Amino acid sequence: MERPLSPFMFPTWYRFQITSALSILHRLTGIALAVGSILLVWWLITVAAGGELFTTTHAFLISPIGLVLLFGWSVAFFYHLCNGVRHLAWDAGYGFEIRSAARSGYAVLAMTVLLTAMTWLCVFLI
Amino acid sequence: MAKASSLSDGTALRDEVVPRRVRQFGSARDGLREWRLQRLTAIGLIPLSIYFAASILSLATSDRKTAADWLSSPVPALLVILVVLAGITHALIGVRSVILDYVHTRARLLAAELLFRAVAVILAGAGVLAVLKLFLGR
Repeated sequence: MERPLSPFMFPTWYRFQITSALSILHRLTGIALAVGSILLVWWLITVAAGGELFTTTHAFLISPIGLVLLFGWSVAFFYHLCNGVRHLAWDAGYGFEIRSAARSGYAVLAMTVLLTAMTWLCVFLI
Repeated sequence: MAKASSLSDGTALRDEVVPRRVRQFGSARDGLREWRLQRLTAIGLIPLSIYFAASILSLATSDRKTAADWLSSPVPALLVILVVLAGITHALIGVRSVILDYVHTRARLLAAELLFRAVAVILAGAGVLAVLKLFLGR
């Protein structure tokens, strides 16, 4: 029998666990944010350059596709931020017990939803 | 060096012996430095990225002039440059660690490494240059 290798273990060979699911999410959101940093720098360039470059970019960002992308990045940002703080706590030696690792995981998810909701409420209400 | 030879189950903040480099069977000679830089930029990015996100939020509906005025004042200019540098450093270390896990051929690893480093350097340079142009040209 061929043994499955790391990235393909998750859906079929491992039981779902909040800790491992959040761990892979941390990587995925990290990659998403790395891609998003290209847009971020691009936006800075268009502000500096001005003219049509800025107008086109701005129009794209407030178009439906642009807004969906921005929404996705905001979710990724808040998740990676909250879970990053969780990782820093582990690095400092706190919260390793299975129960507290699971609990902090759910707290990260709750904070992500809360911060994302607050952010987009601000965008549409202000 | 009394405790240095035994692997401690504590971590740096609690440990009396602070590891200076990977010992014994550690595969990467400079892994610890990169690990530290990842945490250092992470800590810096907590306030910096929140500041940047909040600023972008208030600029979300504004025109170019408001954004340009904001970026050309000293404190935002400095903080945005720091966001770009810390963010891209953090991203490069993260992306590299993903590559190391999934790319196994030496040639592909080298190619990916060169590609992502080049992209990171160009992005950081372009971002800093854009802010500097606004700051110096105000």
